Amino acid sequence: MDLFLQTLVNGILIGGILICLTIGFQLTFGVLHVIDFAVGGWTMLGGYTAYWLVTLAGIDPFISIFLVFALFLLIGRGLGPLIYHVRTSRYARPDLMALAFTFGIFLFMRGGALWLWSYNSRSVDSVLSGQFLSLGPITIPLMRLSAFLMALLFSLGLFILLYRSRFGMAVRALAQNHDHAGLMGVDVKRVSAWVYGIYTALTASAGVLIATIYSVNPSVGVRYTLFAFFVAVLAGLGSVGGVLVAGLALGLLEAYVATYIGARYSLLIVFGTLYLTLLVAPKGVLGRGI
Amino acid sequence: MSHKFSRRKFLRNSLLGTGAMTLGFPALKVNAEEHKIRVGVVTSLSGANRFGGNLTRRGYDLWAEEINKLGGIEIEGKRYPVEMFYGDAQSRPASGADAAERLIIQDEVDVLFGPYTSGVTLAVQPISQKYRVPMISGSAESPNVWLAKPAFNFGMIPAVDLTTDKSMVVLAENLGDRAKTASVIGVDEPFSKETAEGFRKGVEESGLDLLSYELFPAGSDLSAIVSKLKSSNPDIVAVGGHEDVFINFVNTAKALNYKPKALIMHYGVTSAAFIKETGSESNGILGVSVWTEGLPYKDELFGTASDYSDLSFSRWGTRPDYTEAACSASGLVLQDAARRLGKAPPWDQGTRAELAKAIEDTDIETFYGPVGFAKEGSHFHNNTKPVPAVVQIKSGDVVPVAPENASKGELVYPIPGST
Repeated sequence: MDLFLQTLVNGILIGGILICLTIGFQLTFGVLHVIDFAVGGWTMLGGYTAYWLVTLAGIDPFISIFLVFALFLLIGRGLGPLIYHVRTSRYARPDLMALAFTFGIFLFMRGGALWLWSYNSRSVDSVLSGQFLSLGPITIPLMRLSAFLMALLFSLGLFILLYRSRFGMAVRALAQNHDHAGLMGVDVKRVSAWVYGIYTALTASAGVLIATIYSVNPSVGVRYTLFAFFVAVLAGLGSVGGVLVAGLALGLLEAYVATYIGARYSLLIVFGTLYLTLLVAPKGVLGRGI
Repeated sequence: MSHKFSRRKFLRNSLLGTGAMTLGFPALKVNAEEHKIRVGVVTSLSGANRFGGNLTRRGYDLWAEEINKLGGIEIEGKRYPVEMFYGDAQSRPASGADAAERLIIQDEVDVLFGPYTSGVTLAVQPISQKYRVPMISGSAESPNVWLAKPAFNFGMIPAVDLTTDKSMVVLAENLGDRAKTASVIGVDEPFSKETAEGFRKGVEESGLDLLSYELFPAGSDLSAIVSKLKSSNPDIVAVGGHEDVFINFVNTAKALNYKPKALIMHYGVTSAAFIKETGSESNGILGVSVWTEGLPYKDELFGTASDYSDLSFSRWGTRPDYTEAACSASGLVLQDAARRLGKAPPWDQGTRAELAKAIEDTDIETFYGPVGFAKEGSHFHNNTKPVPAVVQIKSGDVVPVAPENASKGELVYPIPGST
């Protein structure tokens, strides 16, 4: 029973990490209609930035996460118009062009990370690293708990932004129809660029927590891109609300499969679940995907 | 007698002179180079594995520098200097195969020194076989490399299933009655899986009770696995993987309030990067090393293992690991085989086949340890002679603790603060 409860906690906390990773990705897909291959790259760079800030300036990840958020908001805002330009180009299949473009960005990030930090894995230390809360036989790692709370905070913040602000209204209008939003006076290009900025900021901030929980090296990007796709497909592409349910479901599924069936089969079963979801409910768990 | 300048004669003589020089130059070139042994190194000098690739290069280069200080390899009383050529595998098997082909065709190398990774080695093997160029690999550790029985490829480092198997037996013997149970986990990918398989075999051979054996996909969250280990709490936990998995395991275990009584891993544990990244958590962790500077081996070129370590440190600024040592020892194998072959370079295809046979018959002692290649079985042409040392990290230092002839300190068991 102890192991069952511990697995429940493990699964929920893994879910938190997955939600952090995917929520921005969903937003950018919903608004820009871009499947951003660089999602893992932004996660990796967020982790490395935190690594630099903690080793060079002694800034704890819980403080540096705000700096990372601000920095990547600006970087994403700067890159946003390029993504928008590629996505709305008049060449054939701009959606595929955008996919290739973000893949190129991802390769550039990976190469840059190899050059700057070499291939070795880096640990990012925090005051909460290795700290835990004991509730009887259950151990709750505080770093993972923080990531879970951060996931809730991200989600709440995003909902407030989307449903309680004029900017959010413009974003929702864009998600429904770019042309109509433009006709209603929304500056489509500018809003799209800010959405990309918010996405990169959220994802890089998630990268800070993920690097603190695990570690970071130039090859982790591919893995996180894959996980972001898993959650996004289960949530329904473009559905921000679905990410909460899908992230938790996948986290619990992975934890229980690894504990009671075998860790070897965890990805296989996760893949199988995605396959079934695409067949049975292509709009995701909440039926709100595109 | 008239010495009048004749334009016709001048043109004729110029033409004849140019022709003679053009035709004669290759002969002069061959004559000038026939006293050198051309060695091609295929390794990853760029890409993801460039760090390890450069370690192999350091090892090979150090040998070439040392032997050239003596005038080169001695064959039938005459010394032939070594000339090194490099092909960048770019950390990709296909690029490695291309680089090997270029070295053989364009640079006309007599012998190849092998790549850093097993994947690239497997891609280069058919090239060395096709052109009948012997290849001595100072780094490849996957047992898959030797399954196809490569006629021209020889591996200096025992395959990982052998090293982890032997190290677990050595560890169990050292612990005696103090350890009765073990669990083995590993990443479900070629190298890591073979490492885990070796540990499992070692557990079975040493009579320990195997509580669990579990493989997991690369990139998995380890909290479920660590929770299970915490619940069964075996006396020894063995992990098959690479450095990032070890770091994640240590971090996850710490976050879940679990510290195994003995934690043994393989590649990467002894690296300065691992010790730096895990900090004080690395204390007490056990690793496996095919070679350490404390081992009681020696040869004529490098002296003792400790002398080699000092030499490498003075040349490169860092202490060598077993990969560098094995690469330098690859040169010693070539030296010995060329001496026994007794034929001056350049070597044609037939002579290179004879050289491969001479390498196959190697039976020497070096600073790296004994070298002898298996002539049959699943580890064909792999140097199966070395017995790995079990090392333990103590206050940031890597200390050999077993077997007895390699030990430089007591094995700390259980790790202080263990669950």
